[in-house]
Amino acid sequence: MSLRGLVILLSMLLSSSTFAQTKVNRGLQLDATGAVRVYNLVGSVRIVGWNRDSVAVRGTLSKGSTLHMGGRGPGMKMFIEGIDERNPAAADIEVMVPARAKVWVKTATASIDVSGVSGSLDLYVVGGNIRVKGNPADVNAEAIDGSITITGSPTWVRAKSASGNVILEGSSPDVTVSTVSGKIDVNGTKFEKAKFESVTGSIRFAGSFERGGLVNFDTHSGSIEIGMPAGSPADFDIVSIAGSIANKLTSSRPLPGRYGRGAELMASSANGGTRIVVRSFKGPVTLLRKD
Amino acid sequence: MTDDELDEEMLRDLQRRTAELPREIAPPESAWQRIADQIASEPRIEKPHRVFWQRPTFLAAAALLLVAASSITTAFIVRERLSDDLTRSAVLRTPSSSSPATLAEFTARENDYIATVNALSAVIEGGQVELAPGTVEKLRESIRIIDAAIIEARRALAADPSNKALMELLSTSYGQKVDLLRRTAAMGES
Repeated sequence: MSLRGLVILLSMLLSSSTFAQTKVNRGLQLDATGAVRVYNLVGSVRIVGWNRDSVAVRGTLSKGSTLHMGGRGPGMKMFIEGIDERNPAAADIEVMVPARAKVWVKTATASIDVSGVSGSLDLYVVGGNIRVKGNPADVNAEAIDGSITITGSPTWVRAKSASGNVILEGSSPDVTVSTVSGKIDVNGTKFEKAKFESVTGSIRFAGSFERGGLVNFDTHSGSIEIGMPAGSPADFDIVSIAGSIANKLTSSRPLPGRYGRGAELMASSANGGTRIVVRSFKGPVTLLRKD
Repeated sequence: MTDDELDEEMLRDLQRRTAELPREIAPPESAWQRIADQIASEPRIEKPHRVFWQRPTFLAAAALLLVAASSITTAFIVRERLSDDLTRSAVLRTPSSSSPATLAEFTARENDYIATVNALSAVIEGGQVELAPGTVEKLRESIRIIDAAIIEARRALAADPSNKALMELLSTSYGQKVDLLRRTAAMGES
């Protein structure tokens, strides 16, 4: 096919796609701390916080799909209704919300992107990915096989996926991250009360904890790697039933576990102060120095 | 005579004679009569008078009614809770997240976990939650992974019943299973 032919074909495809879509651009008044609920099964949902007491929606829906939205003042909700409920068509929407709003979004495979919201976030996907950027008051993000990425400093985080990965970059005093086979990758500071747990997925932590905090790492067979700067206050209580423990952070050596397998390590760094409990059935545990 | 002095011939003779002895001996004829006379001479204990609600047939029927009523009530409550708010229901019945101190405590919690898992599984498998086939397959794969971990850790706990770390790991795995099922069930809510 010649270049000219390819250009014509692409133009035709683009043109037919444009005709098969419906553009939406609507708005509603919402209180500065009002609640917003968004329900869109397929496509994408982008939530952006702004400094206005209103909600604006714009985007494209597949032909025949309808955006329903209602409510005002303290709360509103919106959802996309397609022609075939069993085979929902994609809708890509961008929703501007008051920065301090409480946002709830549920999708099936649609991805969710949130930025600039300082209120609370409740985000649910089955197979889509969730991305949060900013400093929301709290984040509850749940997926079945989608991935979750949080960049920022929420006050409270609950991020759970089964086969998807969870990435957390930033800081938070209260965090729980859980996966089954997905990887957990955490990079940050000021973690005070934290729990990281997987079944077979690997857990990698790089950062530091607040003195006086309590941190738990649990896995069945995933590897656990904890990297901390030298001088970070920590009291480690590590047990691996059948796996190995490598300590490259302090001078303490792990002891053999009961019945001649596995290993245990009790160690402190910088006079202690943060209790770090690690439990692994057979995944290897490594403590590293990361300055 | 000591064992050392026991003659082998005598021993064999003793064994032969004991083997010939009868295995049972009937009591003498007169014994039966004496037993019968003794029973007849003892004062008769009167059977207490039972009101109708103490009769075995009534008690059995009442027990059946109680079980049926309890089951129906439970079924209504469970159905209502699950359909109204799956998440709340599961959270209410999820065992405490603190570490079990003893095997007995862990076993009690394990039973709670299993009951919650069964209730949530029944909701998902029973079609009360609409899920795409692909999602169901992914969910099953994750459940298989968790179950394999539970079985492996449970075997280890059977060999080392006082191992607290194993109880903690098992509690985490059960908790993850309950949480995954609860989340999946809640995905069907809008």
